[in-house]
This record gives sequence, structure tokens and C-alpha cells, in this order.
Amino acid sequence: MGVPARALDYAEPILPGLIPDEAELTAGVRIEPGKSYGFFTDTTLCIGCKACEVACKEWNALPADEVGLTGDSYDNTGRLSANTWRHVAFVEKIATDGKRAAEMAPFQSNWLMMSDVCKHCHNAPCLEACPTGALFRTEFDTVVVQQDICNGCGYCVPACPFGVVDLNEVDGKAHKCTLCYDRLKGGLEPACAKSCPTDSIQFGEVPVLVEKARARVEDLHGKGATDAYLYGAPGEPGATGDLGHLNAFFLLTDRPEVYGLPTAPTRASNRVAPALGAGLATMAGLTLAAIALFAADRRR
Amino acid sequence: MPQDSAVRLYAGETYYGRPALKASPFGWKTAGYIFLAGLSGSAQILGTVADFGGGRERCNLVRNARGLAMAGAVVGPALLIGDLHTPSRWYNMLRIFRRTSPMSIGSYILTGFGAFSALTLGADWLELTGAARAAQVPAAVAGAGMSVYTAALLSSTSTPLWAASPRLLSVRFGASAMASAAAALSLGERLGGRPESAETLDRVALAASAVDLVASVAAEREYRAEGVAGPVEEGPWAPVEKIGAIAVGAALPLVCHALNARRERPSAALSVLGSLAILAGGMALRSAMLHAGNRSATRPRDYFRFAQPRPALDHQPTSERIAR
Repeated sequence: MGVPARALDYAEPILPGLIPDEAELTAGVRIEPGKSYGFFTDTTLCIGCKACEVACKEWNALPADEVGLTGDSYDNTGRLSANTWRHVAFVEKIATDGKRAAEMAPFQSNWLMMSDVCKHCHNAPCLEACPTGALFRTEFDTVVVQQDICNGCGYCVPACPFGVVDLNEVDGKAHKCTLCYDRLKGGLEPACAKSCPTDSIQFGEVPVLVEKARARVEDLHGKGATDAYLYGAPGEPGATGDLGHLNAFFLLTDRPEVYGLPTAPTRASNRVAPALGAGLATMAGLTLAAIALFAADRRR
Repeated sequence: MPQDSAVRLYAGETYYGRPALKASPFGWKTAGYIFLAGLSGSAQILGTVADFGGGRERCNLVRNARGLAMAGAVVGPALLIGDLHTPSRWYNMLRIFRRTSPMSIGSYILTGFGAFSALTLGADWLELTGAARAAQVPAAVAGAGMSVYTAALLSSTSTPLWAASPRLLSVRFGASAMASAAAALSLGERLGGRPESAETLDRVALAASAVDLVASVAAEREYRAEGVAGPVEEGPWAPVEKIGAIAVGAALPLVCHALNARRERPSAALSVLGSLAILAGGMALRSAMLHAGNRSATRPRDYFRFAQPRPALDHQPTSERIAR
């Protein structure tokens, strides 16, 4: 990557104050309203350190969901929730008969690790479902719940095709990743991406990230890791069913379901017209039947 | 080649069997509302039909229908607000209009239905016949929306059971709503000693139950074809759906009212039995679909089967959408 141009301006260990457009130094990108920002999460680089989870909780002041062991590899976080906006999934590949795999894969050993997050869909079903306008699209092309408007109807929860949005029973509002809306406003890289020690989570402008990601897939294929593919980039699995692309997209090496992701999620709002149309046609038909029956009985 | 792993046939992989979706937070209040919205919405339709096509002897039926519609418009919002997690902000439902959200569409349908139903009943009490009629027509139109928008609300989610069959769910809710309204009004006519209009309503209920039964059988087939039928075939909500909604809610009244329709002197007992079965079945249908749907969201294989690529739909070019 090389040293960002402005990095040498801040060589002293004690900083004078907030660095303007700090993301230029940490992610090589200047954050400007009107552009589309997102994450490219390259799971082949993830080492499962969960720094992203911790950074997210710290910056957003989110409490722990539960403290305990799940028994599912090193994943004791379990799921994305109202209080957990990054979730590192751990897949230990074992042989199909349930025994330990006897052979070690040459790449990534037999481990898959993936930091899951809100996808910030281009046509976001949660936003399209929200009746109050609490969910909105920001000037950075991300999807955020406005806490002062949400009335906790919970309709965004089943609308999400990735099981991301969740209600907090304590405050009665819907919560999810904001892609660090407050940090973006201040020119800062989102906390998870900034804390990621391997650059598995890369923050940037979506078209630039997609280009980088496609090059990374080519590179991996060239090295013999032919399983690598993009999930959620335009035209790829995950970006299906009229969702458009996902602003937070992934590089995966096994099929999406292994990571708990659907191969072909759909856009819920595409079902509004067929459902209402069929229902209103039924009502019209039955009303005509009722008119005919009332008329017939009156004649008798 | 890069997508080999994603395109090959789904063999049941999951992430530790954990849910890939979150279930809706909707409970019995929402199920009750869906039933009540259908009952009261369709009652307003039948009241309008009876008012325009029934003549003087139907005036009690018309008034009952207007009362039933108003009851739904009063109790319904209370149930909905009770199911909000921040009920004090209920008014934000009318803050914007979003045509992609059946909950937003429904908020306006309910508002319109409530307003026109109140005008109708108010004018009726003041014996302003013309004004009552004028207000009842828009109320009945909103009533049609009340009967079916709730199905669109459920199917416009990612919950596999709801999303698998949007059209048939809507037909079922609509037919059940019309049958429930006819059944409730028929019971009222029997209580009021007017068996002739009860028989007319029973014939409406017969037609609606027939539609309900056909749509229910077709929906079950579609759930199996999509691989999402689990929660309606096993577990606590399977009997509520199979016995409650389909056998008691559609098949039994179909038999009762069909027998009565063929008889020279229809039996009051059969009519009442059919009407009560419709009302119980209507509530069973809404409860079963709501809770079985919530279960289906927590079954990852159901969702992953549902979310497999469909060549006809999913190979639309998406690449140009990224250029904003």
C-alpha cells in the first residue's frame, strides 16, 4: 500500500487534535457526501481476532449480549443483533461423517473466518419496509435507523434478507450497523475497518472496492485458490432478486450457506404488488358474488 | 468457475444450524388485528351491498355491519399500538407514505377506513340516510384493503413461509375475511329473528369458503414445492393450520352451508354451526400463519432452499446500478 502522502505530517506521537480527513491516512480515501461508501470484507485475510467486534462495541457504546460459550468453535458472539453489529463467524471444516478432517487444506488450513456485518443493500428491504421513515439512506449511500423516529414496530426485522436488523427490548427501537455514520461525518474511517489488523475489512468507495475485490479474486485464482468468489458485488451471488449490489460485500471461498448467508436473497417489496393485486381481485370477485346473491334473494 | 461453489445444488449446509434470519416480533395482538381487520373491513363491504341491493328489510343488517366495521376500526388500532415497542410514537406511522411498505400503506388504509366508518355510523345514528350511504362507499373500498393488505404485509418480508406464496396468502386472507363478516352478520340476523337475510349471508359465506378452501390447498402445495412447508406440517402450529384453519375454517362451513343451500327449509343449527366454524377458523388461520411464519424464519434450511437462484428471475444485469 505504501505510506499515505499526509502520514508524515503527523509524525509526532502526541497529536495536536483531530486530524482533518483522517480516513485519507488510514484508508486512503477522503469521505465526501454524495459518494457511495461500503466495506469489502476479504475472508481469506481474516484471522478471527474479533478486533472489529470490540472496536464496534467500544465506538458505538454497545453492551455485551451474553457472556458464555456456545461450543461452536471460537464463535461465542453467535449472531448479529441490536447490540452486536460485527460478528466473526468461525467455520472449522470437518469431514462429512462428523469426524475430524484427516487432510489439511493447503490454503486457509481447514478454517474459514468471516466478519459479518449489515450489507447496506442498494435496494434495502429494511428501509423499504419502514413505515415511519426512521430508516433512511444517508449522504454516504448507507442505511441508518434514526433512533428519534423509530417506534419499534419491528417490520424491518423480518424484512431484512440477512437477519441483521434487530429490536432492542430495553429501549424498544430497531438497531443495526450505521457504517459509523458519525465517524463518516467527521472524516474518520469506520471503527471496525480501522481496527482490522490484516485489512480483511477494507473501507472505501464502493466502485473502487469492487474493482479491488475483482483483482483480488483474479490474484487468488492465479495462486490456485479457485474457490474464491465475490458475494454481494454487482451480478454476483447475494446481489440477486433486485437487491442491486450490497455496499458491504465479501470474498468467500465456500458456498454462502456455510457462512450463514443466502445464495439468492430477494427484495421483499417486489411481493407487494402481486399480493395486493391478488387480494383485491379476490375481494372484487366476492363482492360481485355478494351483489348477485343479494339481488337473487330479493327477487324470490 | 469462480462461482462454482455458490451455484452447485444446495445440499443443506448451514452455519451451526443457526437461524439466518430474524423472526418478526409480531405476536397474538397482530394475529388478532389481522382477523379483526378482515372481519370489520369485509363487514363494511357486505353492509354496503345490503344497503344498495337489499331494500327496507335489510336496515338492521346494514346497521349491524356498520357497527361491526366501527368496532374493528376502534379495537384494531389499539391492538396494533399495543404491539409497538415504543407505543408512545404510534403517530410516526403517518409521518411519511412509503409505497414499498405494506405497513405504511396499511396505516393509511386503516386511517381512511376508521374515518369513513365513523362518518357512516354517525350519519346512521343521526338518521341521515344519504350521508351514511355516501360515507359507506369509500369505507367499503378501504374495507377491501383492510381484508387483504395484512397478507401483503406478511409476504413482503424475507420470512420463507410468508414470502413463498404471496398471491395465495392474500386470496386466503381475503376469502376468510369475507366469510367471517358474512358469518358474524348471519349470526346477528339469526339472533334478531330474520332468517331470510341470514340465509343470503350464508350463501355469501359458502362462496367465500369455497374460494378459501381451494386457495388453502393450493398454498399448501406451493409451500411443499418451495421446501418451506415444515412449520405447517410439524410442530404446534401444524394442527392449528390443518384442522383449525382448513378443516374447521373452510371445509366444515362449506359442507354446512352447502347442505343448507340445497334444503327446502334451511336448518338454523347448520347455519349457526357453519358461522361459528368460520369465525374460529378465521382466527386459527391468522394465528397459524403468523406463528408458523415466525418459526420458519428460524429454520435456516427452509430459508436457504427458498433463497436459491431462479434462472428466470435472477440473471438480470445489475452491474449498471452501481454507477450513481
